Amino acid sequence: MSAVVASSIKQGGPVRLPKVAMGRELILAVTTLLVVGVVGALNHDFIGAQNLRFILLNSVVLSLVALGQTLVIAMRGIDLSVAPLLGLAAMVCGLLAQSHGLPLGYAVLLCVAIGLVLGTFNGLLVATLKIPPIVVTLGTYSLYSGLTFLYSDGTQVDSVPPTYAAFGNGHLFDWLPLPTPVLVLLVVLALCWFLLRHTRFGRSILAVGNNDAAAYHAGLPVKWVRVRVYAISGVLACFAGLMFLCYTGSATVTAGTGDHIELQSIAVALVGGTAIAGGRGNLVGTVLGSLFLSVVLTALVFLHVPPIWYSAGEGVMILAAVQSGFGRRSAAQ
Amino acid sequence: MSAVWKAIESSPVARVQPHGNGIVLGAHGITKRFGPVEVLRGIHLTLKPGRVLTLMGENGAGKSTMFKVLAGQLQPSDGELQLNGAPLRLSSPHAAHAHRIHLVPQEPLLMAELSVAETMFVGRLPMTGRLLRRVDWADVRQRARTVLDLLELDIDIDCCARTLSIAQLQLVECAKALLHDCRVILFDEPTSPLTSHEVDKLFAIMRRLAAQNCTLSFISHRTEEVMEISDDIAVLRDGRLVDQAERGAFDRARLLSQMVGREMRDVPRRACCSKAAETMLQVDKLSVRGLFKDIDFTLHRGEILGLAGLVGAGRTEIAETIFGIRRPDSGEVSLAGERITGVSCHQLIRKGLVYVPEDRGRHGAVLSMTITQNITSGLLDRVRQPAGLLSAADENEIGAKAVRDLRIRCAGLDQPLRELSGGNQQKVVFGKWMATGPRVAILDEPTRGVDVGAKEEIYELIDQMAKAGMAVLVISSETEELVRLCDRVLSIYEGEIVGELCGDAITPSAVSASYLGTPEVPPSSKEASLA
Repeated sequence: MSAVVASSIKQGGPVRLPKVAMGRELILAVTTLLVVGVVGALNHDFIGAQNLRFILLNSVVLSLVALGQTLVIAMRGIDLSVAPLLGLAAMVCGLLAQSHGLPLGYAVLLCVAIGLVLGTFNGLLVATLKIPPIVVTLGTYSLYSGLTFLYSDGTQVDSVPPTYAAFGNGHLFDWLPLPTPVLVLLVVLALCWFLLRHTRFGRSILAVGNNDAAAYHAGLPVKWVRVRVYAISGVLACFAGLMFLCYTGSATVTAGTGDHIELQSIAVALVGGTAIAGGRGNLVGTVLGSLFLSVVLTALVFLHVPPIWYSAGEGVMILAAVQSGFGRRSAAQ
Repeated sequence: MSAVWKAIESSPVARVQPHGNGIVLGAHGITKRFGPVEVLRGIHLTLKPGRVLTLMGENGAGKSTMFKVLAGQLQPSDGELQLNGAPLRLSSPHAAHAHRIHLVPQEPLLMAELSVAETMFVGRLPMTGRLLRRVDWADVRQRARTVLDLLELDIDIDCCARTLSIAQLQLVECAKALLHDCRVILFDEPTSPLTSHEVDKLFAIMRRLAAQNCTLSFISHRTEEVMEISDDIAVLRDGRLVDQAERGAFDRARLLSQMVGREMRDVPRRACCSKAAETMLQVDKLSVRGLFKDIDFTLHRGEILGLAGLVGAGRTEIAETIFGIRRPDSGEVSLAGERITGVSCHQLIRKGLVYVPEDRGRHGAVLSMTITQNITSGLLDRVRQPAGLLSAADENEIGAKAVRDLRIRCAGLDQPLRELSGGNQQKVVFGKWMATGPRVAILDEPTRGVDVGAKEEIYELIDQMAKAGMAVLVISSETEELVRLCDRVLSIYEGEIVGELCGDAITPSAVSASYLGTPEVPPSSKEASLA
């Protein structure tokens, strides 16, 4: 018996990564590269440095929103209000920058504050009123859209200060070919990954997503976990709004909601291997999923597909990707 | 056993150490009401260090509710808990953890997507690092591995919890209690999915914990086990404490009469049915690679055939294959002469074959739906009106009949299933399938988590069904149940039929010997302790 104990202690090394998750990331990366390769062969402009940079930058805003969404879904929730939150943050920061020259640093703080307050509001409604999250965030979706309309009063943002534009399009380091937004995304991804993988709070998210009754019986503060996750989702959505403002240099009242970014963020989280029933979240998969979506949408342009087909194409792509994942899992069982 | 405990004591990671100061957990006049229903009525109990207190009682007597109160999952409507004589208020399970009170729940609470190691540490993950506080995964895996090794459980700690069987999950729950240095451990029917070998292991651990001055309490419906492990026994009936004494003061008759409130006599074996009856189910060389092979048997009209075996011998998998849930690699099944290999479950139910699964939480019942909805969920196409709408009157009639026939104890037909006790839930699941009027029924552990009085009711029901011409296949890990019920018993060992017993040859020792693969009857320790 003591030999068994000794050998088991030896095994207590680094944690093995879940195999299914690794497979999912690999498949997504390979599929993305394949699409890039095929479309690039048909049209060489597609793999030009300019276009690749465009594809990359295009996926950043969605990725930021979807990282928050991934945490929410892993907790067996859903957050539809991310789209109007994105629009609200973009509008508030944009108008203040346009009229009062709000410095970028304050804009970041302002976004975090808006996201924190409104995200916490979502969380409190879900955690205390026992209303299903899809209903709560459907309600706050309209509410936050309304706030954007009220605040903007029909105006829109069509130019931003140069610091903003540099943040959205420039390079932080001359020696590094990655644009600033991509660097920011990588930092946020690393933070979220550490949170979900290596903190008690992160593990509580998954425990609640697996079985909230069991999590409560295990002594976890289930309500508090819920509130915090919706707050994080709100903050990330608002920060994505600022990134959207800096990248596009404009903001309208339909920013976010017009592109159905709430649905896109849910879709890429699922494509990335997060379980819609909760309990499992794959953050790297989510970012790869956003990149995949960005590649496919750009490819449709390069393949001269008429724009009226984009939405349908996007839907088919999402269904195919999610289905392939489900097939893999049941085969593994 | 001693080897196990030497290892535990010498292991620094198991953290199971003797406590000089045991704690006395007292319940004084505990009353619990759910709306107008009183589930507990003024219960006085004292859990003492170094002793095992067993709660016994029928379905809905309030045993599990009492445990939930002691573990902080429910707050009493009246009365008070006391810790070493001082008042104790447990506002949440978290508060109970702080006092090192641990409940091993009746139904293991599944965290399907987490690793086995992590499920053992949910809510209590160890942290490491000064600058960057993070979960100490190495410690988690090492301690989980060590405790599972000590319990001789061959489970991969890195695999998803959803891949475990119920028995494994239950043992992991017990292992959890060892990990967290608990001083009060409440075991809510831990033994029902376990094999006798696993039960012996669990009892060895419980005795050792008691010797270390831990305060233990236990719920079981198996009288032999209760007599074996208990120091004190308390009997609950309808939410009241009706009897409490040291184990020596009890015998089987006193226990049963106190639980049921009336004298019970041992029921004789049912009379054998004739062998000439027509064949209802024929299984021919059925095999699934890695699970079982060459399973051959016939089931006749009016016959009750038992499948005996250890948990994990492949009996449930055989049943699932017959019922079309799993695909066989080879072999055939026919129902009343008609080949049914590869036919879907839905079609099979229409053809008159039903399978009542073992785990009601996962497969058998929808806890949030009402009793009626559960019962009629298997036969919705039969209560449909021409307009395509369900007739509420028809539904209610079927529900009311099942509640009456099965003597389901409930507040009303509209009560959600989750509010019923475990045994009554099982009756509802049972009622659901019986309502479809099957010709062949496969019952997988039909009395799991059901108390003695209700068990007898279910046995009588199965008898009646067989008398009415139904062919019944019973899978059971309780030898006595097979002896009580079956005309014929097949023993399954590691996926193969290793023996067949018929008529009066079916005795407890013969059945056990047969499925353990030993030709001679070993003197069972349980029987010795009963004598």
